[in-house]
Amino acid sequence: MLNRILAVIRREYLERVRTKAFWISTILVPIFLGAVMIVPAWLATRAGGEFTIAVLDLSGRFFEPVRDEVDRLLSGEDEQLSVKMVMQDPGADREQLKSEVQKKFYDGLLVIPATMPDQGQPEYVAPNVAAFKLLTVIERSVNNVMVADRLTSAGLDPEAVRELTRRVGLNTLKLGKGGEETSDQGQTFMLAYVFVMIIYMTVLLYGMYVMRGVLEEKSSHVVEVVISTVKPFELMLGKILGIGAVGLTQFLIWAVLMAAISAPGAVAAVGISGMELPAIPAQLLFFFVVYFVLGFLLYGTLYAGIGAAFDTEQEAQNFQGVVTMFLIVPLVLMVQIINQPDGTLSVVLSLVPFFTPMLMFLRMTLTQVPPIQLVGSVVLMVGAIFFCTWIVAKIYRVGILMHGSKPKLKDLVRWVREA
Amino acid sequence: MDAILEIQNLSKRYGDHVAVDDISFSVPRGSVFGLLGPNGAGKTTTIRMVMRIIASDSGTVLLDGQPVDDDRRRIIGYLPEERGLYKKMKVLEHLVYLGTIRGIRPREAKKRAAAWLERFELGEWATHKVEDLSKGMQQKIQFIGTILHRPPLLILDEPFSGLDPINTRALKDLLQDMASEGVTIVLSTHVLPQVDELCSDICLINRARPILLGSLDRIREDYGGNTWRVSSDLPENELAALPGVTSVHPLGDERLLELEDGQEPRDLLRSLVDRSEVESFTRFIPDLENIFIRAVEEDKVHVE
Repeated sequence: MLNRILAVIRREYLERVRTKAFWISTILVPIFLGAVMIVPAWLATRAGGEFTIAVLDLSGRFFEPVRDEVDRLLSGEDEQLSVKMVMQDPGADREQLKSEVQKKFYDGLLVIPATMPDQGQPEYVAPNVAAFKLLTVIERSVNNVMVADRLTSAGLDPEAVRELTRRVGLNTLKLGKGGEETSDQGQTFMLAYVFVMIIYMTVLLYGMYVMRGVLEEKSSHVVEVVISTVKPFELMLGKILGIGAVGLTQFLIWAVLMAAISAPGAVAAVGISGMELPAIPAQLLFFFVVYFVLGFLLYGTLYAGIGAAFDTEQEAQNFQGVVTMFLIVPLVLMVQIINQPDGTLSVVLSLVPFFTPMLMFLRMTLTQVPPIQLVGSVVLMVGAIFFCTWIVAKIYRVGILMHGSKPKLKDLVRWVREA
Repeated sequence: MDAILEIQNLSKRYGDHVAVDDISFSVPRGSVFGLLGPNGAGKTTTIRMVMRIIASDSGTVLLDGQPVDDDRRRIIGYLPEERGLYKKMKVLEHLVYLGTIRGIRPREAKKRAAAWLERFELGEWATHKVEDLSKGMQQKIQFIGTILHRPPLLILDEPFSGLDPINTRALKDLLQDMASEGVTIVLSTHVLPQVDELCSDICLINRARPILLGSLDRIREDYGGNTWRVSSDLPENELAALPGVTSVHPLGDERLLELEDGQEPRDLLRSLVDRSEVESFTRFIPDLENIFIRAVEEDKVHVE
C-alpha cells in the first residue's frame, strides 16, 4: 500500500515540479516580495543628491542663520544629501528668479518675507516639491531659526531653550520569551504580515492545484484505470501529499534564497545600508511550516472533495467560493488580532482550525502565545483534518465516478450517508 | 469446471433502479468469455463490482476460489469503459507508473513497457507527452498499461470502442494470441460481430439479469437445433405445410425451416426437391447477433 501511495505522490510531485509555471512562480514571488519590502527603503536612501537653492531673503537677516541651520541638520545625518544655499540680492526680481529655477539653474527658490518672523510665511518654489527629505530639512531649518529669533526677542537664550525642548524619540523594544529586549521598528511585524500573506496565497494556490488535479483526472477519464488498483482514498491522499511536497519544495528554495541574501556582506553588496532584515526566530519559522502543512492538508482535502463532486471548474465555482471564503475571513480578522492579540475574541478566533494557520501565526509574531494554546491549535487542526478527510473521502469515492448531472448539496450529503 | 472467476448472486441498486439483479456466472480458466448485453443491461456495473470500484449490495466474487480483495484484484488486467491517460505525462513514464501501481518494480516495468512499445511500433514516442499522440496510439498505450503486469485474467469493458477497423483487427489478433497462451479474457460488449469469432463462452445480460449462459458452441446448437436454411422458389405457406416442419422464418431471400425433433433433414430435402427448384440447403448455425436478438425478444415476451 505504501509503495502505491509513494508512486502516486511521486507522479503528482514530478508532474508539477517539472512545469515552467512552478519555476517562474518560485523565482517571481521572492522578487515581487523583495520589491515590495526593499524598494521603498532603497528609494528612501536614494533621496540624497546635491541641491542648490536660491534664497531671496527680504528681511535681510535670516539668510545666514537658515544656511547654518541647514548645515547643522545635515551634518547629523549620514544621508548623501547636500544643500547649497545661494543668497540673492533682496532687490532681485522674483519672476526672474523663478525662470532661473525653471531653467534648472537652481533647484528651488526660498523666499523669506520681510515681515518674518512676526507675520507671513516663507515660500518655497520648485519644480519638484515631492523631494520629501529636502523639504523636511528646509522647513525645519526655517522653523528653528524663526522660533529661536522669537525666543531671543522674548529675552530667552535659544541654546538653553533648544536643550530644554529637545525631542524625546520613542525607542521601541520587543520583549522576547527569555525577557531579552530587541530593538524593533516594525520589521518583525512587516515580516509577519508577509508570512501570513504567503500562507494565504500558498494554501489557496496549492489547494486549487489539488482541485484541478482531481477535475483533470475525471475529465480525462484516467481515474477509473487508477482506482482499479489504488484505493480512492490512497489516490486522494497521494495527490494531496504530492502537491503539498511541491509547496514545501518551493519554501525550501525560498529559504535558501533568503539565507543567501541575508548572509553577511550580501546586504551591503546590494547597496542597502540601514535596511536590515530582522532575524526570524527559529520557533516562528517552525510554526510557519507547521501551519502551512496543516492548513494545506485541511483546505487541500476540501478542494479535493469539490474537485471530485463536479465535472468542471465552472460547476465547482459555488462550493469552491465557500471554501475560499474561509480562507479570506482571517485576512479580514487580522485587524482585530493586531489590536488585541491577547483578547478573548482573538484567542478564540485563532483556535478555529480554518483560521489557525494565519491568525495563530500572526498572534505569535505580536505577543507571547501560551504554549497550551499552540498545542491546542495544532490538536484542533489535526482533528479537523481527520474529520474533513473522513467526510471528503466518501464524497470523493462516489464523486470521481460521476459524470453528467451537477450534484447539489443534498446529493453530497446523500453520498456521505450512503458511502 | 475450473473457474478463475466466480460471481455469485451479485446485486446492486441505485435508489429504485436495479442495476444488477442477482447475477451468478463462472468464467472458465483459459476461456474467452463474452459478457454481452444491450446498453444499460448492467455489464459495466457488474465489472465494476468485480473490480471493487463500487461496492455490491449483496453477493460474492471469487477469484481463484478466494474472495477478491484489494490486493488480489491487482492480478486482473482491467481496461475500463471510461478510460484515459494523464495527458501531460511522457509515454514511457506513464506506463511505468501504471506498472508500479500494479505492483511491478519500476525498473522491470520500464523494461517491459519499452519492449511493448517496440512491438507496437511506438518506440520513438516513448519520450513524447501522451497528448502528442493520436487517439489510436493512446488506445494502444492504454492497452499496454493493462497487460504490463502479465495478468492471468483480463477484463476488458468495450475494448473495441473508438478503434478503427485496422486496430480492431490488430487487437483481436493480440487477444487470440494471449488466449492461446492461456490468459483468460472477459470481454464486455454490445457490438456482437466483434466478438463472435473470439468468444468460447458467453453470458448474455438483459435488464440486470443473465438470460443466456454457457459455452457458445452449445448455445449455438440449442438455438440452431434442427433448423435448416433453404433457398427455394416454394411459397411460404407451402413450405410450412411440408411434413415435419414446425415453423418458417424469412431470412433475406432464404427461409429458415425448423423441423420437429427426430425428423430427418434428408426427408425434408427430398420433399423440397420433389416440389421445387432448390438452390441451397444448409444447416443453420446462428451467429451471436441472431441468438442475442432472439434471446432478448423471448425475454421480453417472458416478462410480459
